[in-house]
Amino acid sequence: MAQKETYIKSWLKDFWGIATHELRQIFSDGGVLLIFIVAGLVYPLLYNVIYLNGVLNDTPIAIVDEADCAQSRRYTRELDATREVEVAYRCVNMDEARRLMQERKVNGIVLYPRDFGEKLARMETATLSVYCDMSSFLYYKNALMAANHVMLHEIGQIQIERYAAAGFTGAEAAALVQPIPYEENNPYNNAFSYSIFLISAILLLIIQQTMFYGMSLLAGTMRERNRSFASLPDTLEGHGIGRVILGRGAAYWTVYLAISLYIAFIVPAIFGLPQRGNYWDILLLLLFFITDCVFFSMTWSTFITRRETVFVLFLFMSPICLFLTGTSWPVTAFPKFWKLFSYIFPTTFGCQAYINMSTAGGDLLAARSQLFALTLQTVIYYFLASVMVFIENRVMKHREEIEQRRDALAARIGIDRTEDARIIAGE
Amino acid sequence: MGTWHEIWAVVRRELRIFRQRPVYLIGSIGTLAFCAIFFLTFFRDGLPHDLPIGIVDNDRSSLSRNFIQQLDATQLGKTIVYETFEQAREDMISGKLTSICVIPEGMYADVSANRRPTFTYYLNSLYFVGGALAYKDILTMINLTNGAVQRQVLRAKGMNEREIMGRIRPIDIDTHQIGNVTTNYGYYLTNIMLPGILEMIVIIIVIYSLGAELKYGTSRHLLRVSGDSMLNALAGKLIVYTLLFFSMGLTLVVLLYHWMHFPIAGSLWNMALAIFLLVLASEAIAIFIIGCLPVPRLALSIGALYSVLGFSLSGFTLPIEAMTPWIQGWSAGFPLRHYYLFYVQEVIFGAGFAGWWQEVIHLLVFLLLPLAVLPRLKKAFIYQNFPKE
Repeated sequence: MAQKETYIKSWLKDFWGIATHELRQIFSDGGVLLIFIVAGLVYPLLYNVIYLNGVLNDTPIAIVDEADCAQSRRYTRELDATREVEVAYRCVNMDEARRLMQERKVNGIVLYPRDFGEKLARMETATLSVYCDMSSFLYYKNALMAANHVMLHEIGQIQIERYAAAGFTGAEAAALVQPIPYEENNPYNNAFSYSIFLISAILLLIIQQTMFYGMSLLAGTMRERNRSFASLPDTLEGHGIGRVILGRGAAYWTVYLAISLYIAFIVPAIFGLPQRGNYWDILLLLLFFITDCVFFSMTWSTFITRRETVFVLFLFMSPICLFLTGTSWPVTAFPKFWKLFSYIFPTTFGCQAYINMSTAGGDLLAARSQLFALTLQTVIYYFLASVMVFIENRVMKHREEIEQRRDALAARIGIDRTEDARIIAGE
Repeated sequence: MGTWHEIWAVVRRELRIFRQRPVYLIGSIGTLAFCAIFFLTFFRDGLPHDLPIGIVDNDRSSLSRNFIQQLDATQLGKTIVYETFEQAREDMISGKLTSICVIPEGMYADVSANRRPTFTYYLNSLYFVGGALAYKDILTMINLTNGAVQRQVLRAKGMNEREIMGRIRPIDIDTHQIGNVTTNYGYYLTNIMLPGILEMIVIIIVIYSLGAELKYGTSRHLLRVSGDSMLNALAGKLIVYTLLFFSMGLTLVVLLYHWMHFPIAGSLWNMALAIFLLVLASEAIAIFIIGCLPVPRLALSIGALYSVLGFSLSGFTLPIEAMTPWIQGWSAGFPLRHYYLFYVQEVIFGAGFAGWWQEVIHLLVFLLLPLAVLPRLKKAFIYQNFPKE
């Protein structure tokens, strides 16, 4: 019994020592603080400011009205009145409109052909053309949505006139024009705002990426100074991987708990993003997510042997992780390989769960599959991090032998490493 | 030794560094290759298909079944039928559905009796592309259904097909997507994402390369090799990097517009020019950052923060004009923004020199940046008086 107590005691003592040491390291390193504080605190604000409006209004379009009839003029007026587009120019021919588009004064062109009015008068189908600038899909979406909404409205108007001519009036005509009226609900993101769908994903992505970069910076620094965190206390004779990992993890966990609370609750409140979720539900999600991120970062930072290489090797993962969250390109359309690949990252599940809870107002039940995945990931990454620490310990013990082998290998393929070093650094 | 000899010596030295430290080539060629594979395979389909659309069929008539089958048969949609709205809603909140259609009870009977039943749909626009496309799909289908009902009534009244079409659809729109005829999402994103990644690589690697000289204390040796000339040292280094990055960029352009047949209205070689200028401008930015702040760790962190912002501020997703006015100006400080404007002129409109000459000037202006910090960088290289990490 007494022995067990000392084990727990020494465990806790080691744990505490490692955690506080790591905290001191974090707060005495300018580079890490720059990533944690500037990136962690300022980036969420910056992205919110960039995507502040998030909605593109009044995309300028040019009108080429070859028909010049009452209907085309009415159509133009109605287009101008939509939120999506604004009639900026009226051109006499397509050449002029095309030039305006190339000069980027307009992002769309609406052309009424010469027979537009005639066809309508003959009760045939009149076709108008919409030309969209595809340099941004939002231009395309705006021009097309405006043209379609006006078209549906106009069709209704014209049909009523035509049915009246055919002898249907009142309720009968209405029932013919639209036998099944429809009601549209877009509960979470009414105007298809860019900020609402993108920011929610970016916020959690910032947590994962800054933690990974910061931790890797520190891990790289320590390895450069030959005192990797993986070095276990000598007294333990090779045991104690658990307290090293949990102790170091606890330091980051504490720092990121604060940063995450800021990112997930305060930032959305500042910018008026929807916060429909239950506070405690989201807090619980964050706890799962941060824990997962800690072990994720710890595992992958093993590959960073020098301080700065994390940016050289892994910076490009930030945009890729964003696509892998599935907020823009739908998960159902992921190719199989990339779907499996996305399981590597905590953000894949964390962002979805956060979006569903915070923006759509889901509860823990709605996010159960993501929470389960996060838990599974945490367990796997804890295990992997332990394996990495174990391997690194072995490597450190046999460092000289490995160096010798490397030199021998280089010599065999004709590279003189000492000669290289001399050319690079001089004597 | 002459200037050329000194520059050549720096070039040879730089190549030795590549051999000694594989991180340079892995971080540049490896990274770009991975991203190219990612973006070209991830958006392989161009447009997503079989988006899950939840259906709550309260009617269970031939009309509602027909509607569900038709929606399921569209390329975009895949219907999943739910017993109750509650179940469907729960799946939408957990992100499994792009939308829900609720078919009202007695729809068929109501339609037959001219009572106009209301069809309701709910969109999940938190998953942007999926939500927007499902919206389009449902809207098309409900309007087609309306048309089908009208057609039956008008047929019963004895009208011929031509008259019926004129009444059902008096106005039609034909859409022309300039620069991306198939509305291919992959073309749209990859065209800018990959050059953006290249910009990121150039900035990070160049900062790292110059920073490493400070960090490992080899900067004095570098100056000795280059004959005590910062200009020679930079020239030697940049010859190597420009060759490396430009050949990567050229491969990228050929890959996109030739091998993968991305639509391009103008000329591939003009895009090669654009990539070349993008590489030069990014190198200039990198030198400027490390020159202002000759502390490798801080310069790299700042380079990372800067280049990540480049994607948003190039304005190819959310256009710049939709941003807050005081943010709009910032975009000019990112080479990727000018590359994007160049690309719009060349790839989308095929406007040629008349369209993009201003962007060439904007990109060249970045090359003045290093001049401002060259003396400072040289001092740092000589005295090594900044924190080494």
